Amino acid sequence: MKLNIEGLLVYFPYDYIYPEQYSYMLELKRTLDAKGHGVLEMPSGTGKTISLLSLIVAYQRAFPLEVTKLIYCSRTVPEIEKVVEELRKLMEFYTKETGESNNFLALALSSRKNLCIHPEVSSLRFGKEVDGKCHSLTASYIRAQHHSNPNLPVCRFYEEFDSVGRQVPLPAGIYNLDDLKAFGRRKGWCPYYLARYSILHANIVVYSYHYLLDPKIADLVSKELAKKSVVVFDEAHNIDNVCIDSMSVNITRRTLDRCQNNVDTLQNTIHKIKETDAAKLREEYRRLVEGLKEANVARETDIYLANPVLPDEILQEAVPGSIRTAEHFVGFMRRFLEYLKSRLRVQHVVQESAPQFLKDIFDKVCIDRKPLRFCAERLQSLLRTLEIADIADFSAVTLISNFATLVSTYSQGFTIIIEPFEDRTPTIANPVLHFSCMDPSIAIKPVFQRFQSVVITSGTLSPLDIYPRILDFRPVTMASFTMTLARTCLCPLIVGRGNDQVALSSKFETREDFAVIRNYGNLLLEMSAIVPDGIVAFFTSYVYMENIVASWYEQGILENIQRNKLIFIETQDAAETSMALEKYQEACENGRGAILLSVARGKVSEGIDFVHHYGRAVIMFGVPYVYTQSRILKARLEYLRDQFQIRENDFLTFDAMRHAAQCVGRAIRGKTDYGLMIFADKRYARADKRGKLPRWIQEHINDGSLNLTVDEAVQLSKHFLRQMAQPFRQEDQLGLSLLTLEQLESEEMLQKITQIAHQT
Amino acid sequence: MTSLSEEVLLVVKKVRQKKQDGTLYLMAERIAWGPEGKDRFTVSHLYADIRCQKISPDGKAKVQLQLVLHTGESTTFHFANESTALKDREAAKELLQQLLPKFKKKANKELEEKNRMLQEDPVLFQLYKDLVVSQVISAEEFWANRLGGINNTDPSPYNNKQEVGISGAFLADIRPQTDGCNGLRYNLTADIIESIFRTYPAVKQKYSENVPHNLTEKEFWTRFFQSHYFHRDRINTGTQDIFSECAKQDEKGLKSLVTQGVKNPLVDLQSLEDKTLDEGYGICTTQPSTSNANKSVKDSSNSAIIKRFNHHSAMVLAAGSRRGELASDQASETSSTDGNSRDSDFFQPPVKKVKLQEAIEFEDLQRENRPKTVPLNLKKSDRYAHGPVPLQSQQYTTSQDIINSVNYIRHEMANYKPSLTQVLSSTAATSAIAALSPGGVLMQGGAQQAINQMVPTEVQGELKHLYVAAGELLRHFWSCFPVNTPFLEEKVIKMKSNLERFQMTKLHPFKEKIQRQYLSTNLTGHLEEMLQTAYSKFQIWQTRRMMRKT
Repeated sequence: MKLNIEGLLVYFPYDYIYPEQYSYMLELKRTLDAKGHGVLEMPSGTGKTISLLSLIVAYQRAFPLEVTKLIYCSRTVPEIEKVVEELRKLMEFYTKETGESNNFLALALSSRKNLCIHPEVSSLRFGKEVDGKCHSLTASYIRAQHHSNPNLPVCRFYEEFDSVGRQVPLPAGIYNLDDLKAFGRRKGWCPYYLARYSILHANIVVYSYHYLLDPKIADLVSKELAKKSVVVFDEAHNIDNVCIDSMSVNITRRTLDRCQNNVDTLQNTIHKIKETDAAKLREEYRRLVEGLKEANVARETDIYLANPVLPDEILQEAVPGSIRTAEHFVGFMRRFLEYLKSRLRVQHVVQESAPQFLKDIFDKVCIDRKPLRFCAERLQSLLRTLEIADIADFSAVTLISNFATLVSTYSQGFTIIIEPFEDRTPTIANPVLHFSCMDPSIAIKPVFQRFQSVVITSGTLSPLDIYPRILDFRPVTMASFTMTLARTCLCPLIVGRGNDQVALSSKFETREDFAVIRNYGNLLLEMSAIVPDGIVAFFTSYVYMENIVASWYEQGILENIQRNKLIFIETQDAAETSMALEKYQEACENGRGAILLSVARGKVSEGIDFVHHYGRAVIMFGVPYVYTQSRILKARLEYLRDQFQIRENDFLTFDAMRHAAQCVGRAIRGKTDYGLMIFADKRYARADKRGKLPRWIQEHINDGSLNLTVDEAVQLSKHFLRQMAQPFRQEDQLGLSLLTLEQLESEEMLQKITQIAHQT
Repeated sequence: MTSLSEEVLLVVKKVRQKKQDGTLYLMAERIAWGPEGKDRFTVSHLYADIRCQKISPDGKAKVQLQLVLHTGESTTFHFANESTALKDREAAKELLQQLLPKFKKKANKELEEKNRMLQEDPVLFQLYKDLVVSQVISAEEFWANRLGGINNTDPSPYNNKQEVGISGAFLADIRPQTDGCNGLRYNLTADIIESIFRTYPAVKQKYSENVPHNLTEKEFWTRFFQSHYFHRDRINTGTQDIFSECAKQDEKGLKSLVTQGVKNPLVDLQSLEDKTLDEGYGICTTQPSTSNANKSVKDSSNSAIIKRFNHHSAMVLAAGSRRGELASDQASETSSTDGNSRDSDFFQPPVKKVKLQEAIEFEDLQRENRPKTVPLNLKKSDRYAHGPVPLQSQQYTTSQDIINSVNYIRHEMANYKPSLTQVLSSTAATSAIAALSPGGVLMQGGAQQAINQMVPTEVQGELKHLYVAAGELLRHFWSCFPVNTPFLEEKVIKMKSNLERFQMTKLHPFKEKIQRQYLSTNLTGHLEEMLQTAYSKFQIWQTRRMMRKT
């Protein structure tokens, strides 16, 4: 249908529309109009992606000079592919309606592992291996050597792409990962480099968060993307953790040992080169004197996305003299390495800030702050000069140099914690230096600064106001939409007591309590008897799940559950869990029914949907608080309190509730879907917890279902399931939660819709 | 002795029954007991009648064996030979254990089969009532050639019965019981053993390797329950355990399943993340090297449980679908292995594409535009189910075709223009109509149809039953010819009398009844004719026989 969103003609590739989709587009349009940032929450399964794409594509067509590019960031590879498929659907609709093929270019970009078509390289299993092997075939000096020595292997796909691929832009169209590969095969071009090159002139780019948030990758891939782009972070409820992860460094003894080897290799290579090709090193020295002017010029003229690892100030200067020659730099690294080794030889836990660390290093080994800041740049230059074939081997020294640059650049927002051993095993020495970022805004700041509109959206972003605070930006729109429903297809229940009135909770004090564990087991057992097909149960942590499963096994509860359904359990091994997951789906599919025991914050809770019969009930055992005893977390909480005035408990609860919401939200993936959401912990009944659940879940929790016993929950569930099993047709929804164009345009409905969008 | 022809499998002397000494005989089809010094059996049970056997606990003074019959009665034998009582009992028990299941299945199957046939076929049920319940023929006679036909010639209708899967909790059903003196007793049934074998082929292999030669069955299962293999939380310690190999095999199987990878890319957790953080970056890094080493025993036993549960469920699931998919499994096996290698991108996309499309679809946002179908409106569903099977099942028309052709015909009709120059002459037309009207030349046979209107429905029903019953009897009668064995001779005479009895008890009352209602007596004419034919055939056969004899 064709919609009129405040004067913008939007092609929407379906015959009907959900009211919330309409209001979502409305909000989105206002964000784009204001050229500002937005935070939008809408339940999953209400067609968020297609609404986003429809509106932004329409906007791009209407105002080609205002918005030149859409950068769509998602979390997982399947998500990325889904987005591209939806986009394809939209474009097909455009072609059908307008009768002309539009010249949109949209493509997905993923790592080499998913795009490589080189027969040898692509057969490697791990991403890192693929990257390393690729680099050893495509590095510029390898190719230069290939000219003189044709026996040296190079990648023919890259060669072909390099010689002809850049001249003709990729023809307009929608390219998913497989399409890129097919195209690459046809032409004999490397799909990965083709995609990386093409994102510069593509209208829509779909890729993963890391390409924009991880400075190491963003610097390579996304540096030159146009300023007038709209950036969308989908499934962004965890974005702060992604930011923090990309800026944090852990150094163990093993890292240091490997780094030592790297430095030795560097030294040897330098010696060798000195004998054969001293001119090369002199050339490098000259370049370093000239400084990083190029980068500086580029940034000033606003061509580049800023790299948070490369702060503005250092661009204006040349690399300091003390590390300018190759030998000096290697010597410098040795000293730094020795210092770190000495720091790891501690007997007690040390926590200090970056300035303290810098002072200490200056006192002990006379390393100044300034050369430290140039470490990362200097190492890159050296690796280039020395023509190191396999970059992957040098990950340790790269890590150390990145650490050096970061620790000397940011005096705030980071903390250094040195732990001599793990808390659980105090007898085994395993010293780790955690250099952890506590301020997610550092990594995302360049994105907010550079791009004109950044939209953060997800099914679970409640409470909305916390994201602008922790990411430090000012949104122009913030909205949370609920799901309009013709029938209440979700049934959140808070089970607070067992049948014997024992309070159910996963809190630390009662964690080992057999009465609680038994009652949890009873809940699962009873549910397994009444819920058809699949049940997914989430535990707060892996250790907790292991313990509970063990005692359920001892008490014979699992055997009784097996009478009703098969049991599959998430393990720490991804391959094993994938197998269990597939078997679980198979068991749901053939009608046997199954239970999947899983962990909140685990891979399953983040990336796998349990649509329809794959998840008729989700049981959340306990409140998934993060492990609060960790020093890193404590430091972060302190930082949040000091910098953003967020109370520790607020943040912890927020974090726990967003994960709980993610878990239970896995079961509802649309309006025709239905599912039970069982929160098995009495703490969920409290207003401060409940209030942090997304609105679309919260509004279906009535006061009667706040502190149920297992039996009561079973009764309510039975009733709910029986109702839901009745046929549900399109006509039932029409006019309520599903609208035709005429219905949408009626005055009455428009008024209703404005009420739906809860402005916050 | 009464049954010299029977094969005697086992004779046990000095067996008491009701305080009387005697001898126990186990024969091919029955078990019998005769008191000492007499050559008659006072107790004799067909194996098919025995529901189960029970034995006295090992510690008891009296060594007994009890047989429980389907009827609920039971017979107890007391093995009284002091020196060999236990051995005798064991021998009898073992033999019974082997024999009973065979007969049990047969007996049950037959009963079930008869029941099923009667339930499924109302006509047959009516026939059964008419003939057996009213004692025209005996039940055995009734079933004699029916079951035979089902069992031998036409096994298809219940061959494609749905395969029953395995309960996920079959191991839970083996509840150990304490026997009072620090021991545990496990009760195994044939079903459970079957389940164990189907789920764990490795155990079955062990069983077939070891059982008759190295171990007795009892020892085998004792060891099974003692092994860590059954107690999944135990850490593998002893290597003398015969099941340690099974565990290893399981491990291997699990591993191969894992390395095979998953077919659905949407659930592949390994390739979910696009770009993992490099080693050393990130907040919470796990150190696999250390965490493995200092894992406590409890932890690793916990994870062993988890692993076993996953494995068990996978095996149960596989056992359920194994048989049906044996053939297709092979195909998917090969495809999944090369689905694993990354070169096979040509092969992979279809699954992926389909899954992706499924994932992005909003069925309620789309107008339903499936092709219109004609709803199936059945008046008699059984006729639909038992209808004649078309020889060429490939040639069928889709509902769309039917709709198209209906539309086409409608279109033709609308545009029909009679070509008035090419019509029949009026006389030819009237004679044709007259011939086709009731009473006309071409409608002679149609008079029979009037029975619908002429006779009340209950009489019609009764007539129908009579026809069916008579048909059945006649079938029995005619199937005796040519009479070439003494048995058939006997049967044909009996059938003749059956037919006469049928005529007397069923047909004549009916005839009188319709006469009373002033309906045409012609109704039974055909039936009588059929019977008459049978009688005359019998007559001829008898006179011939007489002639041959004389």
